[in-house]
Order: sequence, then structure tokens, then C-alpha cells
Amino acid sequence: MTSMHFPVYILMLLLGYAVIIPLQRKLSGKRFQLGILLVLGVTVILAILELDNVIRGSAYRYIFGSYTRGIGIEFIVDEFSALMTLIVLILAILIVIYSFKDLDHEIHPTRIKGYYTLVFLMMFSLVGMIFTNDIFNLYVFVELLSLTSVAIIAIKNTKDSIFASMKYLIMGTIGSVTVLMGSALIYMVTGHLNMTLINGEIGMVWEQYPINILLAMGFILTGFGIKAAMFPLHNWLPDAHSSAPTPSSALLSGLVVKGYVFSMAKLMYRVVGKDISTEIGITRFIIIFAVMGMIMGSVFALSQRDIKRRLAYSSVAQIGYIFMGLALATELGISSALFHVISHAFMKTALFLSAGSIIFLTGIRDVRELDGIAYEMPITMGVFAVGAMGMIGIPGTSGFMSKWYLGLAVLDAGYPELLIVILLSSFLNALYYMPIIISAYIAEHPDRSYAPEGTCSPLPMRFSMALVAVGILLIGLFPNIVMDVIQLAVPTFVNL
Amino acid sequence: MNFIIGNINYIGAMVLFVIGLYTVLTHPNLIKKIIGINIMETSIFLFFVSIGYVQGARAPLVDPGNGGQLLVNPLPSAMILTGIVVALSVSAFALSLVVRLHQLYGTIELDEIIKIRSVETDD
Repeated sequence: MTSMHFPVYILMLLLGYAVIIPLQRKLSGKRFQLGILLVLGVTVILAILELDNVIRGSAYRYIFGSYTRGIGIEFIVDEFSALMTLIVLILAILIVIYSFKDLDHEIHPTRIKGYYTLVFLMMFSLVGMIFTNDIFNLYVFVELLSLTSVAIIAIKNTKDSIFASMKYLIMGTIGSVTVLMGSALIYMVTGHLNMTLINGEIGMVWEQYPINILLAMGFILTGFGIKAAMFPLHNWLPDAHSSAPTPSSALLSGLVVKGYVFSMAKLMYRVVGKDISTEIGITRFIIIFAVMGMIMGSVFALSQRDIKRRLAYSSVAQIGYIFMGLALATELGISSALFHVISHAFMKTALFLSAGSIIFLTGIRDVRELDGIAYEMPITMGVFAVGAMGMIGIPGTSGFMSKWYLGLAVLDAGYPELLIVILLSSFLNALYYMPIIISAYIAEHPDRSYAPEGTCSPLPMRFSMALVAVGILLIGLFPNIVMDVIQLAVPTFVNL
Repeated sequence: MNFIIGNINYIGAMVLFVIGLYTVLTHPNLIKKIIGINIMETSIFLFFVSIGYVQGARAPLVDPGNGGQLLVNPLPSAMILTGIVVALSVSAFALSLVVRLHQLYGTIELDEIIKIRSVETDD
């Protein structure tokens, strides 16, 4: 069964069900949960069919309302966007399964319905952002995503989370406003909103109005830099991701930030083009910020005692890896960045879910109090260990493969000094992840009774965590599954 | 001088953008920060609508008998309608968060909230 309308079906299902959820009378019964899983399951199946469709056939454009090109909104459905959609939806379904048990403890029962509405709206805007080929449409999806991701933090309704979401909202709005200003500057000189048509005009425009393009790229880099937590603009992220309910932290850190990174890649390479981006020097700046992020993010993480804050700061460092790969502006660099987008999505989800599971059962947030906890929670700590090994880059995990590809890309692009930065950052990663694993597995604790007698984290939580960990190992052992698809899509970024 | 008068919309938009950004970054009062964000958004609306303006053109109503007339570009205005809706929802949400912050901390001055938080974490 194939149809070119699959991306739109996915969007319609997500948006439609987001509206239906608040209308359901029955609150948090089995049927309510089953309905959510059913809809997400259908979208995953559609995404699989879509990916198959694109790989067998070819990438195509989908224009809404059969307008002519340039008037209607356009989607580009290529190999990477189909793969990214599939991975976003698979991780979303696992996180949702996890959240059925976890949410009861974290947010007020009357708000649970609202929570799933927000999750569906968030997935809707994220998938839309991945497919869209229109800069104003991109802005609308960005704004919708930032509103839902703030709401998904504020829903916890504690002092910390409300403060963090206020900070996130103000920073995020500055970011999206700045992106809109950049889009306006591009529209002003090219007269198009469609990314492909802008790319056709931009060469000529660049000769006539270089300052205009420079300003536009400056605005866009700053805007997406804030939203994707590029290093000096990252300071909303640790608060926001650590004070959110656990499923929200996993969604935000694993998926949402990646949407902004992918949009940045689109604007840098598909809209403005590789030649102009490198000539402006935007790639050079991004490399500097990425290096700072990779080192400083890890250094900050080292000083955190709260386990979720440590994970959040580690995200800042990992975003640095992705931006470094993007800014190399070579085919290998971009494919390594996109590979890390996917592998980091799995690893950070695994880490946040297992950390959340520890907090769920024992209430411990301090990393120094985890001595010997692996004896009581073997699956949770196992997942945590796999995720942390991935972050450090131990062979066999997806993190090793993304570092390997990034290392090759750095050498290929002629920056051998960046390899030292990658190694140093991996070393720092080891420095703040290994103590947790070592103390959890080896250190002896006198009374060894964290959890109440005979309890362990509920089955759905263990199930979804374990599947994410299996995903990490699968991508680590067979990276070609992902890499082959990415390599089909990357040429459209570099030589358009 | 003519340059300034000819481009007064664009210059005004940029000045407003900077004023808004300055307000967001320097005022500790959260309501004033939200007003600053609104000023930034308004500046972009001004900028966007100015892009569509054509001197001497008339409103873009299609008149079949009267071809060849200059028309104003209607697309930026249509987009700004969307932009205004987004801006409205952001302000509404931000204001509701400010209400919650006031209930929880008893103040809407950011520096006082940070002071309260640092005292609480020391305990």
C-alpha cells in the first residue's frame, strides 16, 4: 500500500486526536490509554510505509491544495525526513508507554488529559517542522512547538518548573521572533517563501545585497541557536529539562531540540546554500561555538549533583557534536551530524527514562547517593549504563559510531585539531558518567534498602526503557541501517 | 536625509526591535519583559507589512476590466495575520505563567524570585 499522502495523514491523525482527547469523558482508564497507543501505532505504521515508499521510489514534493509551485505550502518528503519522522514517532510511543505509570506521581490527575493533548500537538508540530519546505510555515511550526514544550514543563506546577518554564518561554520567544526577522529579510530580497525557489534566487541576490543575507543568517543562527541550546545561549536548558516531569524531559531532550537542529541545517544548506554559508563565515562561527559547547557543557555537567541536571548539561555538550558535524559543510560531516541526531535521541531518552525511574521508586536525585542501587534495580541501571556508555563512546553502542563518523568527517574536512576536542570531550563525558555506573554496580551500601521491600518499577516503564536500550545497541552494532538512509538524503543538502 | 525618509519603515522597525530586546534583557519585572517581547513582535509586523508596500499601488482587488494596474503585495499582510495570532497566544500564555509565579513566590520581580530561590536551595 503506497500513497503520496502519508505525511499528511500522519499530521492529520496527530492533530485530530489532540482535539479528541479532551472530549473523552472517561478519564485515565484503560480505554483512554489504548486509544492513545492505537493512534500513535497507526502513525508509526504510516511512517514505516512512507519510509519504504521513499527508499524504493524517490524523494518527492507534496504541494497542498494543488496550487502551482511557490503559492501553496510545500512539503519535501525525502529519505532523512521520513526516517526522522519514524524515529520521532517510535520514541514518542515508548515514552508515552512509560508515562502511563510515571505521570500519576508527577502531575495532578486532572491534568493528565491535558498532558496527552500537549504531547500530540508537540508531535504534530515536530513532524510538520521536519517535512516543511516553506519558511513561514516553518516559523508557525516552531512557535507551536515552543509553546507546547513550555506547557509540558509548566504542567508539573511546582515552584521550580513554573520558574523554568517562564525562563524557557522568554528565551524561546526571543529565539522564534529572531528567526521570523531572518525569514522576513530573506523574503524581502528574494520574494519567495518556498525554500527551493529561494535557493534558486539566492546566488543573484547575494551579489546585490550581501549585507541583507548576512543579517538574515545572523538572525536565523541566533534564533535557532537559542532554541537548540547552542553553547553560549544554552542557559534555559538545564532548568527546563531537569524540572520537567520525566517523560517531558525525555521528549524535550531527545526529540524537540533535534527538530530545531534539523531546521537550522535546512536553512543553512537548502535555503542559503553551502557556498554562501561558508563565504559568510557562519560555519566557522558555529564550529567555535560547538567546540566551546562540547568542552564547557561537560565541565558544567561535572559540577552538577542532581542527576537530571547532569543529563541536561550533557545535552548541551552533545548538541555541540551535532553542530560541529553540520558546520563542516562536507557530505561526511552532515551525515555524521544527522547520524548523531538519531543516536543522541535514543541515548538521551534512555538516560532520562532510567533516571526518572530511579527518582520514581526511591526519590533520590543526588548522584552521590546511588551506591549499590544496581542490585535493586538491575534493568533500570542496565539501561542507564548502556545510555552512559553510548555517551562516552564505548564500542558497540550508537554513540561510538557517531563519534567514529564525526572523527572521520573532521579528518576529511582537514581540521585534525578538532579530533583532540572530540577526544577531550569524550574523556570529560567518561569523567561524569563513569562514577555513577561504578558506584551503582560496585560500591557497597550498609543497609541497601532504597526501594520499599519487594517493589520494582512497573512493567510498562521497564519495557519501554529496555526497548530504547535495545535500539541503542542495534544502531551501534548495525549502523548501516541508519547510515544508508542518511547517505541517500545528504547530497540534497550539499550540492543542490 | 532622503534615504532616512524613504526607508523610515525599515529603520523604525529595527529601532523598535532593539528597544524591545533591550526591555526584555534589562527589566527585572516580568510584565515589562512580556511587553518587550510584544514590542519586538510588533516591529517585525511593521517590517513585514512594509515589504509588501508598493508606491502608488492600490489595494489588491482583482478587477478584470482594469488590468495592468499596480497592486500592493497582499501576501505579507496575510502572513502577519498569522503572526498576530501567534503573538497573542504567546502573551496570553506568558501572562498566565506570571500569575502562577505570583501565587507561588509572591512577587513578579525576577531578581527577587532569584533571591528567594537561592535562599531555598541553601537550606
